[in-house]
Amino acid sequence: MINRRNMIQGMAAGVGAAFGSTFVPGNVQAAKSNAGTPKRIIFFMQNQGFDPATCVPKGMTSSGSLAKATLPEPIRALEPYKERLHIINGLHGTHTSPSHSAFFGALGGYRGSDGVPPSASTIDYELSKVLPQTLLPHLCIGMDSIENMTTKPTIGTLSASGAGQPIFMHSNPNHLYQMLYGGISTGDIRLQHEARSNVLNQIEKLAAVKGELLPTADRQRYGQYVQGFHDVNGLRDRLATVSDHLRKFAPEVDERYSRPEFETDWHDVLLDLGISALTSGITNTLTIGSGRGEIFGAWKGLGIEEQGHNLGHMEQPDNPIWIKIRQYNSRMLVKTMDALESVPEGSGTMMDHTLIVYTSNNADKQHTSGANWPVMLLGNFDGAFKTGCFTQLDGQRPINALFATLLRAAGQNVDRFNMNEQLAKKFDASTGPLREVLA
Amino acid sequence: MVRFALAIVLSYGLLSVAVAENYTPGQRSNKTYDSFASSFLLTHCVDCHGETDPEGDLSLNELGPVDELNAGTWKSVWAQVTLKEMPPEDSDQPDVVERLQFSDWIVSELERVMRDKGGFRALLDPNKGNYVDHDLLFGSLPDGIRLVPASSPGRLWRVTLQEHITRLNELINTEPEFNPEKPGLRTRGDVVPTNHGGELKLYFGTDRIIKWQGGTVAYATSVKSVPAVLSSARDHGLENYPDFYTVNSAEATQIMSVAGDILRYMAYGPLSIANPEQITDDPNSYEIVGDIRGLPTALVYSTKVVRPLTPIYDLMKDEGVTDDQLSAAVNYLFESLTFRPPTRDESDAYLAIVKQSIDKLGKEDGAVLGLSSIFLERDALFRPELAENSKPDQHGRVMLQDWELGLAVNHALRYIKPDGGLREAIVDGRMRTRVDVKREVERLLADDSVRKPRILRFFRDYFDYDRGGYICKDSKALADTGVSNRGTSHYRAMFDATASTDRLIELILQEDRDVFKQLLTTEKVVATKNDNVYFGRKHLPEERQASVAAEKKALEEAARKNAAELATAENEVGELEATLRASPKDKATQMALERKKKVLAAAKKKVANKRKRTNENHDVAEAELSGPNIFARVSRRSFGNGSMKPDRILATAPEGQRLGILTHPSWLVSHSDAMDNHAILRGRWIRERVLGGGIPDVPITVDAMLPDDPESTLRERMHVTRETYCWTCHRKMDPLGLPFEMYNHAGLYRTTELGKPVDTSGEITDSGDPRLDGKVSDAIEMIQRLAESKRAEQVFVRHAFRFWMGRNETINDAPVLQDAWHAYRDNGGSMKAMLASLLTSDAFLYRKVEYNPG
Repeated sequence: MINRRNMIQGMAAGVGAAFGSTFVPGNVQAAKSNAGTPKRIIFFMQNQGFDPATCVPKGMTSSGSLAKATLPEPIRALEPYKERLHIINGLHGTHTSPSHSAFFGALGGYRGSDGVPPSASTIDYELSKVLPQTLLPHLCIGMDSIENMTTKPTIGTLSASGAGQPIFMHSNPNHLYQMLYGGISTGDIRLQHEARSNVLNQIEKLAAVKGELLPTADRQRYGQYVQGFHDVNGLRDRLATVSDHLRKFAPEVDERYSRPEFETDWHDVLLDLGISALTSGITNTLTIGSGRGEIFGAWKGLGIEEQGHNLGHMEQPDNPIWIKIRQYNSRMLVKTMDALESVPEGSGTMMDHTLIVYTSNNADKQHTSGANWPVMLLGNFDGAFKTGCFTQLDGQRPINALFATLLRAAGQNVDRFNMNEQLAKKFDASTGPLREVLA
Repeated sequence: MVRFALAIVLSYGLLSVAVAENYTPGQRSNKTYDSFASSFLLTHCVDCHGETDPEGDLSLNELGPVDELNAGTWKSVWAQVTLKEMPPEDSDQPDVVERLQFSDWIVSELERVMRDKGGFRALLDPNKGNYVDHDLLFGSLPDGIRLVPASSPGRLWRVTLQEHITRLNELINTEPEFNPEKPGLRTRGDVVPTNHGGELKLYFGTDRIIKWQGGTVAYATSVKSVPAVLSSARDHGLENYPDFYTVNSAEATQIMSVAGDILRYMAYGPLSIANPEQITDDPNSYEIVGDIRGLPTALVYSTKVVRPLTPIYDLMKDEGVTDDQLSAAVNYLFESLTFRPPTRDESDAYLAIVKQSIDKLGKEDGAVLGLSSIFLERDALFRPELAENSKPDQHGRVMLQDWELGLAVNHALRYIKPDGGLREAIVDGRMRTRVDVKREVERLLADDSVRKPRILRFFRDYFDYDRGGYICKDSKALADTGVSNRGTSHYRAMFDATASTDRLIELILQEDRDVFKQLLTTEKVVATKNDNVYFGRKHLPEERQASVAAEKKALEEAARKNAAELATAENEVGELEATLRASPKDKATQMALERKKKVLAAAKKKVANKRKRTNENHDVAEAELSGPNIFARVSRRSFGNGSMKPDRILATAPEGQRLGILTHPSWLVSHSDAMDNHAILRGRWIRERVLGGGIPDVPITVDAMLPDDPESTLRERMHVTRETYCWTCHRKMDPLGLPFEMYNHAGLYRTTELGKPVDTSGEITDSGDPRLDGKVSDAIEMIQRLAESKRAEQVFVRHAFRFWMGRNETINDAPVLQDAWHAYRDNGGSMKAMLASLLTSDAFLYRKVEYNPG
């Protein structure tokens, strides 16, 4: 079935230029018709677990306001943003097999493990489908050691558009820049962009010629294949027509792209690109995989010589290494919020219509049963979520319930996400959204 | 309403004329609702489905012609009438032709009405293949039905995920040649298998890795791999009809990116993914500093070049570029990816793309980018059967020829490109006739060194025994079965079990005698060590207690023995020390004392190490499987350290507990769920795949849930399906699935459930063969009965037809199906004979291509 929406979603799952039919930059979008309030969502998935002691203020054992609490050292950078913060403790993910990492299961709410393909779509993908349409409905970026990002610039471990259909995350900022801003680039990136455009145009022509004399029954099916190229090529051209707008948001390309000193140089510029895709209105859903869903990862740029697996074996509370990593995450969150705050939208700013979901693909720690899965929300998604508070749940509701809540906030009438009634009887003490977190 | 009734009366008069006509299945008729369908409804349906108090709350008296709004109802009517569910048995039945015409009419109307709304595709679904009456295919046809010679539609098949990965794997990995001494080991031409977690991936350079840091997960992370890009939405049954899939833009862009990785590896080998110092034959010369597990730099590659050296390597190894090098690279890549040489135009077009890219980016990046385009060539992702270059016969059919015919034969058996013999035959113009096809098919089938993974794929699709590793089990429910629930051990055991069943099927195919019956009744088991548990028997509570008690007793006995040994050793040491005090210079005593002290230390250690339990599994009476060593065709180490081991034994299953593949854990777990057995799915499998029956789709109003009651057995919980509304369909499945309750949901044999003797009774009903019908005491009795059935054998042939023709059978295919079944039966149950018959049939050789302008 040829369906524009499906097609664009399909494209989003790829690494290539994937853009919708009309270009509606974020700050223009609000002025557009009343086709729904612009909303956007960011998932920040740090690997190796998110120990509650590194985010829950000391002494807070029950739900309440954060106003008088002091945030723990690892997330102290969020102190000025406390009124936007909602710390949730006591969700569970025991059914996701999160020890080491639940991989796709962390955002899917189902069993995942090393080498296990996704068994259904993930929440970020589902939200990207229902949020107001943008050119690139879903962008995934992954941060890892420089060696891994160089030799394996695209891997799929966290997000999926369906069973057996991983969504690939970008880890080479040069490739990502070319994809997003090839039309306004210069130098080598420009040349790469032009050469790639030429090849894709030629492929489209060849594909179209071979579809001219097909049996009736195959014409539509093959037509989708040709149409895919047509969209990639046509929309790249359309992007070029709004290059003036994009220029306002595209980050400067500097030496960190071509000659990174540490992996964190690439982490930083990947984040810049992700933020710019949001502020320019190119995308509305951003998934960030710090450690790329696996049990490794490196942060040498923070002065951390240990890497990967050993980091997961360490206790996180009061651990100088984990304090550094979490502080780095927090600075990234602050940078994101500041950037979104700086773009006017409707009667407020982009941040007013945004939600950041910060958690781990590994529940609370590397070797875990998933009995506790701490999450931080930042922003209120156009007033949908409570903020400035801490919520302690009783461990009886799964991460799927949070995901169903996100879908509810995005206007979908769902009670569950990726959990049938049989499983729910065992893993979910209730049904519907998490009322404790909704405004 | 008066007008409606009048129309019905008029049209009923016309109906008898219509029935007297010759009926040609599939031929479009000019019947209308008024002239035909309304009278059928009036005669056969509205008595019960009338205006007042209609049966099933479904009123058909004002249904009217097919339109968008009532399409769902018409679809149900189609299913019920076609499957002969309606009219009910005790009512007057339409005659055969009338029923067929009514069914055809609904289909053509639904196709017309739904054309712009995604179309009506239900009858193209392989799960609806049984909607064609078995007796019309294998019995004699009633008067008035005239068949047309068989053919299949012209079409494009999208390559499958495994075909695609196996094709790409050929570019960068050299797989071992077939070794007749170890026929079970995976070799070139076998499919690239899924890894230890069930994920299908292409691995780079693993055949050269000689050292790495870390364990399984670290290795799997360090190694360069890319997952399958093409999507598949089906996970049960026949997965590869040509009309299922296309290639979407996300997949296309990802394929292009993977192409770059592949081309670079073809050109530079591990240097494209590692630093020069990592490539050495002396692993110690590369110092791994610190903990770098999971990084690409944690690997050492040997210097021995094992990847295929191709024209891509020739092109990239030196500086500069010539037209000859470029053409060679383009042509090589084109044939490797499409399995046929390019035409002059194709070659020129891709050459131009590569040259333009090189002009823009220079040789290295330009060649890689330009050549990547060939990975997106239509025929690299789809296999055409368009029969464009031949003339139609008098029936409008065109026979496939040359490359299309050769590649169709190749695709029927293989995932890699045609072998030398087949390629030569195509090039020499010897792939144009039925005789040509027979010659090549028989040659390929006879040669074991020519691997034919498509045949095994058919059995996976038919039996669905390869899903066990993907069924997520509840941890406690799994532990209750008696198998280990630690980590991923059960899931790995299931992927191992799939490979074991693969191998068992291959062994049966090698014999090629009574293949279907053997599959259903073999007592042989291809087993790993784990299978002693999986093929074991769940202990009764008293056996468990006895096992625990025996363990306790054995441990106490051992403790007593150890204590006694300790006491003896202490005494002896004491005595020797006393002797030595009396004669301090006695060397012999000194030496004896030293020895005894060591014995004493060992005895102390034993006593200190109080073992609380042994490795005994108290829940299971393990099977004592034994037999000769063989191999299963799993991924070898080159696909990652976490991959499976090929070692197996060929054993005999415990007597009286198992019979054939349907009683093996691979099949049983594949047809289970997180908490328990899935008797409905199992019953459905028997109904559809063995008896050839059809089950209508579940009505959307049904909330299909069994009650959650841990104190009740599955059979007891399934009583909810006995409600009249449910039972219409469930009577076809439940009594066929419940006999498998003799196994628990990990596939272990059991005699009790929840403390009571397990009820394994069931019944075969309405099979279409009265000799089959009747009660059965358990799955083994049911299987024995089915295995003797001619009808079951014919249904097996119907599924083979669907797999190899890529479509559902129609009545016009009856002669093809009968020939295939006779070939099978007349040759002692030979799969090879059946395949040769199918692959030389009109349905396989001929295409009808319908072109509509626009």
